[in-house]
Amino acid sequence: MKTVLLPALVFCVTKVMSADFRIAFEKYTLDNGMRVILAPDRSVPVVSIYLIYGVGARSEERGRTGFAHLFEHMMFQGSANAPKGLHFKLVESNGGTLNGSTHPDYTDYYEVLPSNKLAAGLWLEADRMRGLAITEENLANQKEAVKQERRLSFDNQPYATAIVDHWPQLAFRNWSNSHSLIGSFEDLEAATVEDVARFFKTYYAPNNAVLVLAGDLDTAEAKKLVGTYFGDIPPQPPPKHPDLSEPATIEARSATYADPHAQVPAVVIGYPGPPRRSADYYALAMLDVLLTGGESSRFQQNLVKGKQSVVQFEANLGWPFASASDYKEPGHYAIFLLHNPKFAGRDVVDQAQAEIDAIRKEGVGEAELNRARTFLRASRIHQLQSSLRRAMLLGQYELLDGNPDLINTELQEFLKVTSEQIRAAAAKYCTPERRFTLEIVPGKAETARGERGK
Amino acid sequence: MMTFSQVIDRSRPPETPSLPTFRMPNVYEAELRNGLKILLVEDRRLPVVTLRLGFPAGSKFDPPELPGLAEAAAALLTQGTKARTSRQIAEEAAAIGGTLEAQAGADSLVLRGNALAENLAKLLELAADVTLHATFPEEEIGIYKAKRKQELLAERSQAAYWAEEKLAETVFGPHPYARLNPTLESIERVERKALAAYRDRMLAPNTGVLIVLGALPGRDQVVKLVADRFGNWEPREAVRPPEAKFPKPQRSLKLVDRAGSVQADIRVGRLAVNRNDPDYFPLLVASTVLGGGASSRLFMHIREQKGFAYDAHSMLQPRKDAGLFSVVTQVRNEVVEPALEAVLEEMERIAKEPPTAEELADVKNYLSGIFVLGLETQSALANQLMMVRLMELPQNYLEQYTARVQAVTAEQVRSVAQKYIRPADASLVIVGDASRILKALETFGKPVIVKAE
Repeated sequence: MKTVLLPALVFCVTKVMSADFRIAFEKYTLDNGMRVILAPDRSVPVVSIYLIYGVGARSEERGRTGFAHLFEHMMFQGSANAPKGLHFKLVESNGGTLNGSTHPDYTDYYEVLPSNKLAAGLWLEADRMRGLAITEENLANQKEAVKQERRLSFDNQPYATAIVDHWPQLAFRNWSNSHSLIGSFEDLEAATVEDVARFFKTYYAPNNAVLVLAGDLDTAEAKKLVGTYFGDIPPQPPPKHPDLSEPATIEARSATYADPHAQVPAVVIGYPGPPRRSADYYALAMLDVLLTGGESSRFQQNLVKGKQSVVQFEANLGWPFASASDYKEPGHYAIFLLHNPKFAGRDVVDQAQAEIDAIRKEGVGEAELNRARTFLRASRIHQLQSSLRRAMLLGQYELLDGNPDLINTELQEFLKVTSEQIRAAAAKYCTPERRFTLEIVPGKAETARGERGK
Repeated sequence: MMTFSQVIDRSRPPETPSLPTFRMPNVYEAELRNGLKILLVEDRRLPVVTLRLGFPAGSKFDPPELPGLAEAAAALLTQGTKARTSRQIAEEAAAIGGTLEAQAGADSLVLRGNALAENLAKLLELAADVTLHATFPEEEIGIYKAKRKQELLAERSQAAYWAEEKLAETVFGPHPYARLNPTLESIERVERKALAAYRDRMLAPNTGVLIVLGALPGRDQVVKLVADRFGNWEPREAVRPPEAKFPKPQRSLKLVDRAGSVQADIRVGRLAVNRNDPDYFPLLVASTVLGGGASSRLFMHIREQKGFAYDAHSMLQPRKDAGLFSVVTQVRNEVVEPALEAVLEEMERIAKEPPTAEELADVKNYLSGIFVLGLETQSALANQLMMVRLMELPQNYLEQYTARVQAVTAEQVRSVAQKYIRPADASLVIVGDASRILKALETFGKPVIVKAE
């Protein structure tokens, strides 16, 4: 009965879904190759400008770890017509917010502005795409800022160094994937203005970028502004992308890191994941919802509450630098578990694996799967309230998939996933034989493990 | 297109029209016979609904020997009722595409929920069940204690935890606002009886505010759904908050010794005002000129000119009965002295050199724009509406917000800066490795040293 009923049921869910909402947008390409997506929604006088470039930390070369991020800082140091400081000032003095962030496979920049300031935001983004102010002084200053950021956000924090520096080294074999995204002080110091200029010319070209405008905008007016500011920025030869392939044979590995700032132990476990948008990608994302999605998830109910071994957890396809939305292989389905010191890290790993194994053996019941579907559907819809979030998803789906309409259609792919597909994906990907494990224990980095630091 | 681009001067930022006036969405109000206030707001953009149920409760009502009681009551409110186990509550919430959890702040306890729009009735049913019938099961209390203690240990491994805790202690003195966190011992002392008593004392319909936003059915229908679930709830006498008495601000210097810190976390703070005070908007503007965002004086000086820090900002944290003004920066050990010097210099300067016309205009636009940007999601709007009610602000507070920001003058900024941003009576708290920064700090006075443990 169940197998007969199932397709009908799924069809029903999907149908309700597609009638739920639709993010309307228009996509076109400028003569210089820049892709533009306009997604008007005039209910709140806010507009988000999102510019995503096809370059990230994985494009870095040996001896230049952290360079993509250092370059991102340089993007805020002034351009041909916008002197240093104007970018922040122009956005903030109008109540806007802005930022940039560096990811393994892309770098993005945004401004969220009261909608009357759309032209000002576009002017800023175009001016720096056209001509960045690359000076010795700016570079020296930003090297210091990045080092300070490293001290603040990583070196002085529990878990962060283990995650950004040690986890990638354990979980990847290819240097392009395994090197530190934030970089070493030595490599940051070695960067020159010539490096900056070359990186800019190679990657920050209109044909390597997607511009998304979402929120309170008039489509015709926005098109005119985009053409005026970006239309004549010259394209560049398409950049070469590094070989990111990992060895086909996966050998389980584990390591222990003594974290001088941590007081509570943690473990990270990860399994090399499937290609983006493959059937297994959707199945593993659903497995993640079952294991870690909210209060009713298996980890919450069975580990945090049942065994009381886990204190907090987070997990994602693409963790720690991505989520299912911007996951791109090679990456992992990875799980971070902060755990009660009464339990050995190894036992917590076994418990997490046992939760996965239960699904691998028995699959998942229809009620639980439907709950996971509803949870996923609701959390996806909730995030679309923000114009910036809509802009980000449209831009990432264009850059990574060439299909921004996935913002409207991908939900059906998640909801279609069956118990058998989840079971099969867990069996194929999430086994101890292909698992990487990092134990983070409180202690001084230079002393033997087990010795507690103050 | 080409002709258009020819007339535009791309060497300068474009002229743009002025900020469109933002009309707050209509808020429909109702009240049940037991005094429960209901606020309804229509938002049909997406098929979701957002719920808030707030009370004037929170950690300032915690007994002195039991810091963390309000926080524990909030966390355990959704962990079991007469009719449902904690697991059933979690599963039923997930099944309606929702979440349901309560949180306690210093002045309030708020139950927060959301769901797919078609499940509004079920969301209200769950919200009423946990609010009225939470049983605080022993097993759940045990789980909470064990987990909260580990979380507290993890929080204590962060420099910011100590900086915030010690600054609040210094500024708020004997008032409960001084206690930001429970202790390992007080978590252990939480008992079912105390939790139930807290719930019975602090959560009452006549002090509560229920806000429902989203793609709603008719108003009468929503009010009826609310009445069905909350109508039989008996009103109670409201609990008086602790007296709003705070120590007179005076200069102090505290070093929290955190061995192995690769940088120093600096806080300079002082007692300030709440949102009802006439000084609030001038002080908000003054604090923003000084350290709000990447164009502020502190950021320009400490990060952009000196490269001492990644971050340098100031902020105003208003609570119901008082506020906290503070400057925050994290600097590398070698520059603690000049960086702290620069912070104090900028605090001094804001009173001597009030903002220029340009600084003032920029900051006013910044605050007005940020305010509008913060109303984009249901959750954000619900939080603002709840804040107005629980802080007992004028009903038109949100409508008047930008006008009141725009009305602030440079003279007012100077005046409040002199009153609240003086280094002479500020509390300095620095978290770092004493063996590496003590000497630098001694140029500012003799620090009281405490251990980060």
